[in-house]
Amino acid sequence: MEFGPIFRALLNNRTRFWLIIVEVALTLAIVVNCTSIFLEKRRSFNSPTGMDVENILVINTEPFGEDFAVQDFVKDVGESDLARLRSRPSIINATPIHHIPLSGSGSSTGRKAAGSELDTVGISYFSVDEHGIETLGVELIDGRNFNQAEIGRRSDGGNEDMPRNVIVTKAFAERVFPDGNVVGSQISNGDDEYTATVIGVIDLMSNCWPRSSIGKHTMLQPSAAGDSREMNYLVRAEPGAIDTLYTELEELMISLETDRVVRVRTLSEIKLGYYSRTLMAMKIWAAVIVLMIIVTSLGIVGLTSFSVTQRTREIGTRRALGATRSAILRYFLIENWLITGIGLAIGTALTILLNYVLAEYAAAPKIDWILLVGGAAVLWAAGLLSALIPALRAITVTPEIATRSV
Amino acid sequence: MFAYQLRLAFKSLRRNPVLSALMVVAIGLGIAVSTASVTIYHIYSSNPIPHKSDVLFHVEIDNWHPDRPFDSDHPERAPFQLSYRDVRALMQSQIPTYQTAAFRTELMVFPDGDEQRPFREIVRMCFSDFFLMFDVPFQYGHGWDDAADHAPEPVIVINSRTNLRLFGGANSVGRSLKIQDRYFTIIGVLAEWRPTPKHYDPTVNAFGEPEAIYMPFNFTPVFEITNYGNTWSWMSEPIDSHEEYLQSEILWIQMWVQLDDETQKQAYQDFLDAYVLEQKKQGRLSRPLNNRLLDVMATLEEREVVPDSTKSQLVVSLLFLVVCAINLIGILLGKFLSRAPEIGVRRALGASRRSVFIQHLIECEVIGVLGGSLGLALSVMVLNAINRMLSNGEQLHLDLTMVGAGLLLSLVAGLIAGIYPSWRICHVAPAVHLKMQ
Repeated sequence: MEFGPIFRALLNNRTRFWLIIVEVALTLAIVVNCTSIFLEKRRSFNSPTGMDVENILVINTEPFGEDFAVQDFVKDVGESDLARLRSRPSIINATPIHHIPLSGSGSSTGRKAAGSELDTVGISYFSVDEHGIETLGVELIDGRNFNQAEIGRRSDGGNEDMPRNVIVTKAFAERVFPDGNVVGSQISNGDDEYTATVIGVIDLMSNCWPRSSIGKHTMLQPSAAGDSREMNYLVRAEPGAIDTLYTELEELMISLETDRVVRVRTLSEIKLGYYSRTLMAMKIWAAVIVLMIIVTSLGIVGLTSFSVTQRTREIGTRRALGATRSAILRYFLIENWLITGIGLAIGTALTILLNYVLAEYAAAPKIDWILLVGGAAVLWAAGLLSALIPALRAITVTPEIATRSV
Repeated sequence: MFAYQLRLAFKSLRRNPVLSALMVVAIGLGIAVSTASVTIYHIYSSNPIPHKSDVLFHVEIDNWHPDRPFDSDHPERAPFQLSYRDVRALMQSQIPTYQTAAFRTELMVFPDGDEQRPFREIVRMCFSDFFLMFDVPFQYGHGWDDAADHAPEPVIVINSRTNLRLFGGANSVGRSLKIQDRYFTIIGVLAEWRPTPKHYDPTVNAFGEPEAIYMPFNFTPVFEITNYGNTWSWMSEPIDSHEEYLQSEILWIQMWVQLDDETQKQAYQDFLDAYVLEQKKQGRLSRPLNNRLLDVMATLEEREVVPDSTKSQLVVSLLFLVVCAINLIGILLGKFLSRAPEIGVRRALGASRRSVFIQHLIECEVIGVLGGSLGLALSVMVLNAINRMLSNGEQLHLDLTMVGAGLLLSLVAGLIAGIYPSWRICHVAPAVHLKMQ
């Protein structure tokens, strides 16, 4: 092989090759880091929520009529709303709810195993009735659902004497009760002043802040419609029925009770809103990755073309001295292969350095080694392809060119 | 001479239009990506009220669990909202030039006539000083006065968007508007006002639009309202009425004061410390004394309004520009050196190295500026696309500083890319190339 002459030639044309090397190295560092950030964002967006997000509608009602100052009236409206919603054939089930999952706003508190000396663990809670589990589409894996008797209204004051029962997610249960035996156990706030009994465990449910560290610590507590004037309902539609329902529900709710503002949204829409920044960032990172590879490839085409042009007479001479076309092609490809290789080696160090900087100052994720290897492979291939175009031009150089201008 | 060199540069660019376009596009992409990220960073980290950001102070009292700091990652920090009872007491102070407690809520608005249905609107409850200390601009009318604060009188200020929605943009001062169960008189209409970041309350949606309606703070107990935003509490206390809520240790109100000099600031700090020590005697506020006055920029920094991803984007996009510039070096080197025979003739005819160097550098800067203009146009498109994607009403725009920064970046990129190739070409030995022809 011609490594010797190629290497010596490299040393004679240092500038040009250093340019490619630096470009390849920087590109590797940027592409690998961007891909790593991109993948992390995509993982966060695609992570399972445990809920039937695609088929859930969120209805928000804000009453303004004076009747709504009367507690019993609010309660009646709530009950009739839910009865009408549940009786609609395209609706699987409906529940009152205070906060909206995946929305970015809600309530959280701290809970621990009752009597435990450990610190409380953050958990976000939702108030639903006995239809909550089916409406959310979450899976109860242990214990039981709320029953109708447990659903009381906070504002009745009647709840004070009733046992406080809650359903929690597996993620929270495993943190607080590492030994198992969750159902029937008591949880409490930090001062042990407030305790509640866990009656059921659901497999998975994202709360209001799915991106946060406690994004899957969720608690359901029983509550009926009409606890407060402002009422939110979740509605789970039969598959395929959500679009029709989406357009019909506002009118239905207002026809049931005029003096209120009704807003209907899909849970998917709410999720997109919560993730809008993430999605935007994903697009930017993807664009940067693609642009980087294109720009670098064009750069390699440009620099190799230049080197072919400059060495036209050299090539002619070699051809005249008996080098075959494939030898010329091989020469340029090996040259490129070597340069890209050096660039990638330096690039690996740069990638780790850049990742360190980004992790330190901008909380970027640590890089997976697979990504680095993959990125290097892609760039190596892109480099060879880019060199191929000018190299194919080089082999068309005929021996007489070498002698023509002398 | 400069005009002549400029003409030469354009002539040279026209000679190989494909290559020239490639160079312009390459540098343009780099400028587009980096100007967009620099703009985003610039907007996120900017000072929304530069002329008084160092005399406006956010008031913080360390009202939290005796054994635990509010923020375990930053134990020196205090909660950045106050309880209603502390706010009431602090507002009695005569020391600050201006002072306001404030929070964000939502109330029901009933437009006159039947065409518009009632709607909920975002309202800021605040004191009259709010408009004065934050230099809030008015299109019509003005803010309310101390008397309206105390009574409270049913007056409101609305922003220009609300004025457009309800009154078609006409001067609505003196008109009345029903909010909740009573009529309010509109006393002022704001001009376009959009502090970015929203310095007076960066806790929720720091880059969103300011509130639509401003109402005297003392309607809080009247309407029995609480805030729409963050509410913190470290102890559990039974709360059965709004009155008990107002007397509780729940933290939900922000407070700002204007302190114009060091003496005034010290006096206010002493006042705060004395108040907290007094409360300690009554068994409240048992954490170590930690009363903080943070100016606007310190507040924004602690609230971490600049997202981490913005910082990574800034670093990466500047590196991207570097790669684009390196690319340009390669292409320029090829282009210039292939012109060596021509330069040889010019040198032999008496052109100095200096003038050859400058001529080529000018050509590089022409490419840089063309690329920069393309890049600025592209970055406007990028920012518009981003604005459409953000759901929270954020608006990112290029301002003049950023256009200048973009052009400067492109000049620097052109210079960096141009120096080496121009230096190489001006060192061409005339004799070699003359001989070859």
